[in-house]
Amino acid sequence: MTSSDRENVSSVRSAEKKRRGGWFREEFGNPERRLAYYMILPSLVIILLIAFFPIMYSVVLSFTDSTVTAFGSFVGIENYVEMFQNPDFLVGLLNTVIFTVGSVTLEFVIGLGIALAINRAFRGRGLVRAAVLVPWAFPTVISAVMWRLMCQDQIGIIDVVANKLGIISEPILSDNTLLLISCILIDTWKTTPFMALLLLAGLQTIPGEVYEAARVDGANVMQRFFRITLPLLKGTILVAVLFRTLDAYRVYDLFWVFSGQQLDSLSTFVFTGVRISQLLFAQGNAASVFVFVTSFLIALIFIKVFGMQTSTEE
Amino acid sequence: MTERSKGSGVFAGRQFNRRDFLKMSGAGLAGAALLGSTACGGGSGGSGDLIFSMGTDTSGTLQPLIDKFNKQSKDFKVQYREMPTDSGAYFDKLRTQFQAGGGDIDVMGADVIWPAQFAANGWILDVTDKFPKSDQSQFLPGPIQSLMYDGKIYGVPWFTDAGLLYYRADLLEKSGYSDPPKTWDELQQMAVKVAKDQKIPNGFVFQGDQYEGGVCNGLEYIWTNGGDVLDPSDASKVVIDSPEAAAGLAVEQGIVEDGVAPQAVATYTETETDPAFLGNKSVFARNWPYMYALAGTKDFPDVKPEQIGVAPLPVTEGNGLVSCLGGWNMLINAQTDMPDEAWEFVAWMTSEQGQRQRALAASLLPTRPALYQDKEIRDTLPVIVQGEEALKNARARPVSPYYSDMSLEMQEQFNGVVKGDTSPEDAVSSLQDSLQQIIEAGQ
Repeated sequence: MTSSDRENVSSVRSAEKKRRGGWFREEFGNPERRLAYYMILPSLVIILLIAFFPIMYSVVLSFTDSTVTAFGSFVGIENYVEMFQNPDFLVGLLNTVIFTVGSVTLEFVIGLGIALAINRAFRGRGLVRAAVLVPWAFPTVISAVMWRLMCQDQIGIIDVVANKLGIISEPILSDNTLLLISCILIDTWKTTPFMALLLLAGLQTIPGEVYEAARVDGANVMQRFFRITLPLLKGTILVAVLFRTLDAYRVYDLFWVFSGQQLDSLSTFVFTGVRISQLLFAQGNAASVFVFVTSFLIALIFIKVFGMQTSTEE
Repeated sequence: MTERSKGSGVFAGRQFNRRDFLKMSGAGLAGAALLGSTACGGGSGGSGDLIFSMGTDTSGTLQPLIDKFNKQSKDFKVQYREMPTDSGAYFDKLRTQFQAGGGDIDVMGADVIWPAQFAANGWILDVTDKFPKSDQSQFLPGPIQSLMYDGKIYGVPWFTDAGLLYYRADLLEKSGYSDPPKTWDELQQMAVKVAKDQKIPNGFVFQGDQYEGGVCNGLEYIWTNGGDVLDPSDASKVVIDSPEAAAGLAVEQGIVEDGVAPQAVATYTETETDPAFLGNKSVFARNWPYMYALAGTKDFPDVKPEQIGVAPLPVTEGNGLVSCLGGWNMLINAQTDMPDEAWEFVAWMTSEQGQRQRALAASLLPTRPALYQDKEIRDTLPVIVQGEEALKNARARPVSPYYSDMSLEMQEQFNGVVKGDTSPEDAVSSLQDSLQQIIEAGQ
């Protein structure tokens, strides 16, 4: 074998190596990049330990007949089948879906209205913006307790007034339908400002010239709103609505506290199963995996179907 | 087209990441194992102190009592570890510690519904040898019953609680009644008449919310009508589907339906009961002994202690007095390094002297009937004088390792009965099935 042959072979090999381990070499061949990896390694390990491992462990548990105290044997999808036959779970699922759709729709419509209103320059705009945010600044548990007191019979203003006006005939807090409606309204009261703020931020990125040009071309208010504002706001709307949807879908504190633990949601079902009951542990785990997977699907729908952009890169 | 290529790019990137992740997760697990082995050593720490846990002591009298014990104890000291006030949160915390291998708590103050749940898992110490029948007989039977599991005893009763009937003695007198009602029928008649005469909005209030207290109330209606949940001679047999139990729940439902109690009692806990009764809004109330001490205080100035009376709960003709047992026991961790010291502390705290001090300082009711004759205690705690019969006839909730699950079922059904959504017959027959299922699932 001549030296040139050898050179040839080695260069072919190195090319192969480069092709095979191209990414690896690119990332780790460079000392600076390697150092960067070493430096983020501890945080990666911690994330794996505290996020990835528990999630996977829950998934594993949901396929076993484990109890609070003992790791059980593999039972396939039995927990999921039982869960879907459990009326408490079905009620929780239904409540959660109604709550999510109802509250997010209301929040979006009202939030958009508020955003459009405070997007105009007027005297005292800063004050109005700050005032609008007040409900959002309350911790959920505090506002839930506050509303519960207001809905209490005999002493709560809402219950007393509603009964006097004849809108309702029974105590709000003992009727699950009224409780659910109240929860939707409370959540709307509480998180509309958040929605409005996000949408306002989006509105402010739309340049004024676009509207001016449209006006010159004779577009009326409705046309300007539907042809300019909404399309240009689409990205912001999707982000805001996704945030709120996922948040509403996980609802726990509002239901638990406002209804005095009477109203079921998916998350309260998980809590009851995993932390209170001794026998529903596996079902509670299955439900938590269900919540995780469905939230993931909701996000995926937003990204794939509605074309939400997950980063600013083009 | 661009959409697709972008998508695959993202996917490819993820794949690398995932492989990377998997590799690192191996290292992570090893790390976790190392951490675990050093962090969860177990045992009673290094201090050599005995650790005693109990929910937040709002009366501020627990620490002084422990200090007193420490002063006379030569070999070891006791350290008080504060736990959540909410008994559910406290239970949760203890359970987590036990699951993780025992934790470092040696002695714990524990709700009367916990012993069976802990004992079935082998988490607490069987004290049958140290606490023989002859000693047990010096305590009230209800709290002792709450500590029995599988024929053994797992702790010592510390202080007790029982459902009582509160009445407005002043209003009753104005309407011509000298004694509180003895039966549910009498209660309903008196409540309606007095409320009407004296212009009080409600006749009676109790706790009908969907929570543990709702179970206590529901059980009291069942017991005072001669029904029961589990067969007293065989705890694995559910007997709630009986005409007596249904009749009991029918009384509870009737009280709400006939307007003796407001519909809203379906959402009442103790927190709503206090202002309703002590705010001059109800003639009668069912509540625990603590409410007596609230009368006439800054928060509830409308009704003074001398205006209220306390009596055992009414029954349905022909049944004996009974009410739901509450209160706290002292248990010992099965993993403790200091079982003898732990027992010494438990014995000291639950002794006549220990309970007497706690009763006088914090108004907690003793579990030793002998103390009910103590003059100083009777003077300090008038509720003992009037509620003595009820306290002595308190009955424990079903003792079962799966009580949490049973409670969830009972909460739902009893609340449905109070709301009027479920008929008493349906409630008891559905409980018969679900409770039996829980017992079988646990075996």
